[in-house]
Amino acid sequence: MTDYLLLSPVFLVILLSFIVIVAGLFLKEKRILGYLTIIGLLAAFFITLANFNTRATLFSNSIVIDPFGQFFNLLFLMVSLVVCLASLEYYGNHPNQDEYYALLLLATAGMMLVSFSNDLIIIFVSFELVSLPTYILAGFDKKNPRSMEASLKYFIIGALSAGILLFGISFIYGATGETNLETILNSNLLEQSSIAVLGTILILVGFAFKMALVPFHMWAPDTYQGAPSVVSAFLSAGSKTVGFVAAFRVFLLALMALKFQWYLVFTILAVATMTFGNVVAIAQNSIKRMLAYSSVAHAGYVIIAFVVIAHSPEAAQFALTGGILHALSHALGKVGAFVVVALVAHMVVGGGEEGPEGDSLENYNGLGKRAPLTALLMTILLLSLAGIPPTFGFYTKFVLFLSAIKGGLLWLALIAILNSALSVYYYARVVMRMYWMEPQGGKVHEPAFYVLAVLLVVAGIVVLGLYPEPVYRMALEGAGSLMH
Amino acid sequence: MFLILVVGSLVTFLTKSREQARMSALLTSLIVLIMSILMFFEYRTSGGLETFTELYDWVPSIGIGYHVAVDGLSLPMVLLTTITSFLCTVYAWGEKVRSNQFFAFILFIELALIGVFVSLDFFMFFIFWEFVLLPMFFLIGIWGGPRKDYAAIKFLIYTHVSSGFILLGIFAIYYFNIMAGNAPTFDIPTLLSAYPTLELTSFWKNFIFAAFLFGFLVKMPAVPFHTWLPDAHVEAPTVGSILLAGVLLKMGGYGLFRFLIPMMPNTSVNFVYIIAIFGLISILYAPIAAFMQPDIKKLIAFSSIGHMGFISLGVAASIAAGGETSRIFAASGAMFQLFAHGIVTAVLFGSAGVIDHHAGTRIIANLGGLAKRMPKFAVLMIIGFLASIGFPGTIAFIAEFSILAGSYPQLPLFVVLALPCIPITVMYHLYAFQRAMLGPYNQSLGEIGDATHYELLALAVWVVIIFALGLHPAPIYDMMESASTNLIMALPPGGIG
Repeated sequence: MTDYLLLSPVFLVILLSFIVIVAGLFLKEKRILGYLTIIGLLAAFFITLANFNTRATLFSNSIVIDPFGQFFNLLFLMVSLVVCLASLEYYGNHPNQDEYYALLLLATAGMMLVSFSNDLIIIFVSFELVSLPTYILAGFDKKNPRSMEASLKYFIIGALSAGILLFGISFIYGATGETNLETILNSNLLEQSSIAVLGTILILVGFAFKMALVPFHMWAPDTYQGAPSVVSAFLSAGSKTVGFVAAFRVFLLALMALKFQWYLVFTILAVATMTFGNVVAIAQNSIKRMLAYSSVAHAGYVIIAFVVIAHSPEAAQFALTGGILHALSHALGKVGAFVVVALVAHMVVGGGEEGPEGDSLENYNGLGKRAPLTALLMTILLLSLAGIPPTFGFYTKFVLFLSAIKGGLLWLALIAILNSALSVYYYARVVMRMYWMEPQGGKVHEPAFYVLAVLLVVAGIVVLGLYPEPVYRMALEGAGSLMH
Repeated sequence: MFLILVVGSLVTFLTKSREQARMSALLTSLIVLIMSILMFFEYRTSGGLETFTELYDWVPSIGIGYHVAVDGLSLPMVLLTTITSFLCTVYAWGEKVRSNQFFAFILFIELALIGVFVSLDFFMFFIFWEFVLLPMFFLIGIWGGPRKDYAAIKFLIYTHVSSGFILLGIFAIYYFNIMAGNAPTFDIPTLLSAYPTLELTSFWKNFIFAAFLFGFLVKMPAVPFHTWLPDAHVEAPTVGSILLAGVLLKMGGYGLFRFLIPMMPNTSVNFVYIIAIFGLISILYAPIAAFMQPDIKKLIAFSSIGHMGFISLGVAASIAAGGETSRIFAASGAMFQLFAHGIVTAVLFGSAGVIDHHAGTRIIANLGGLAKRMPKFAVLMIIGFLASIGFPGTIAFIAEFSILAGSYPQLPLFVVLALPCIPITVMYHLYAFQRAMLGPYNQSLGEIGDATHYELLALAVWVVIIFALGLHPAPIYDMMESASTNLIMALPPGGIG
């Protein structure tokens, strides 16, 4: 019974979402719900942290509590927390903010469940629990046609990918008669079945949409650009990471037997994704599109972990650690950067809803003078995304690329490092705009909650960059728990 | 020492007024300078690495440690850094634009450079190595000239790509060390001693060597990887140029001596001629290119490339086959050139900066007869130019003489081929000086006064060092000679070639 208490953070988040939506019916001052959400998320965060490194299996082995899942739970709770903090300003006066927080919490609960799930069906259901609220969130600016477009596009692609994923799951079920990940791993039916390969490819495509790997990335820039910036932060840092978590679980457990089949696909996807993402990001004039493509590129880096794991068993745990850490540093960098985008669009450009030019790179001209603190924080975030020391982003890339060398994939590491060098260009361009272009307008007020949210992320990036030992150990535990 | 710099730079960054900023920057760099001078004397009396070694765990799970130490090679480089940074602060006393950030960036650069020179852990070394780029990127970008955007980003990308290759090399060594059954570590002395025991195919040996070499040569820079340098120099503010040429370029040469040669003596012999050819091309190409430059600052930038070519030549000579005496001679010469060029080039860029500030242009053709209006400055400048030529009695003469003399027994052909650069170097320096400073005064420049006191002061101190160490190089040279003796003696006797 006590094992079930290990799921209490998830229950807490779900319960909180119900409370928020019901309380929203009666409350006049809805802002208080935001504070409530934050307190709840903090509580869930600390409960998870306190129970870190416990293991249990629940619901006839369909849910498994392990450090891997807990690590990502912490990540999702943190992302959600930062997004909520920023939303306190962003949607501070929105009449429907109760629904907003409730949807955010539901999606977070879905994310947490994905990282604990040990069964293809549970993965699919939790995936939907993530997807459905985020479709609505992407279109939360009801009067903004771009937000509507983003939501619709996201919904159609999401429905398509869910269909493909389910189709793939059904093939795996057909081949093995099982949906439990560990049972599939232990049965040797996969190798004997020809439809299992087809199922694997379909599942891979389904996840590739979620992770926005090239060529399944087309929705990401449009959705991230059109969605409200705080929601983009949630999507790029949270939803995308869900794809990583699920892919890690499914491919490294259930489908490990077919690694020679999916190895090549992941290799091609990794190279194509990081190269395409970085090259296209250079040409963007919208900061949100630029960040979206950079997010695509970062997915390519994370995918390196799969390639290394399949290629060399000795380097596998290290590679997975690198993948997990990089997913974390990417999530931190992106959630921070998108919150800054929200801040700039909202406060510097002005106006309640984002105008059509709210995400133009022009707005960053001279930001170092107009909003010095924000510009400094954004600089650190971008440096972390670019992987320049002494930030956390450097450290995680360091571990990830090191694992590629360790796995004997020198050429892959070379491509990744060159890509990383290329990416410096477009990050540095934003920094240049902020510090040495003439500002268009005077100094602006930097709202406390935005700054607090970003400050939290940046503090994490700097502290973890200087002293990564504890989080490295946690990720190593997580990787170890997944690879038996 | 790091702590003082961190605190100092943060304080400077936060200061509001220009007065406070420059005072706190001056104070910080002065304290660090005094500390490094004290270290220098203590080292001379006590000797030995143990005096200043510090070693702590940092990220033990993958073997990252905090390991700093100084020896006969790194201590002079630290000294060079502290002297240059301190004098840069003095020189830039009149900086008006965002002066708090300006002085803070100088201190950041100083911090990172000292970090590079004292780190004995590859991870830490690489962090500092990369961290040097950022403040320099901002210095060029914020206080730079008209094409600063282009120059800043070019600088960043070039050096970042080269760092990427160094990173690959580090990864490969780390990996093979683990494969050999050793505990994972980035500690440089451990890896250096473990390296000969590792079983590597010759492909990997050559690859690791080439990756490091490429990274260091871009930084140095050697022709044809030099194209970022003239742009960065021309657009950078004067202080940025001084730090860039005076200390940043030395990181490449330092890296060659610190890691590459001691670690892979057997592999480095495959590369002797490659390094020598890069050196020779730089030595010959740079003066010819410098001759063509209309801009005095660009001219000086190319002269730097030429001088760095001598270092490549010295490195090649110290690993080529030959007698130990001459190899030590070449190695000490190249190390001393690292120091000497740092001082000389500071005077040159400082002079170019003075001309730019006071005359409003750096195009040589638009100048003329400045010596009449700026007599004190002209004296300092000609001394800098003479030192750059390698005039006997100046610090650069000692360095270049030892390199050429030490290289001749091993690489006679290269030395003979390098000789034509000497008259060309003399010619373009004197020609530029003549057109800019002598002759009738160019009236279109308007009324110009002499350089300001702080500019003169900084230049004068550099000039004093040029002469002092030119006439009595022993304090630094002996230290480097003992370092190079240790280095060469550890290599296989006789070398291969």
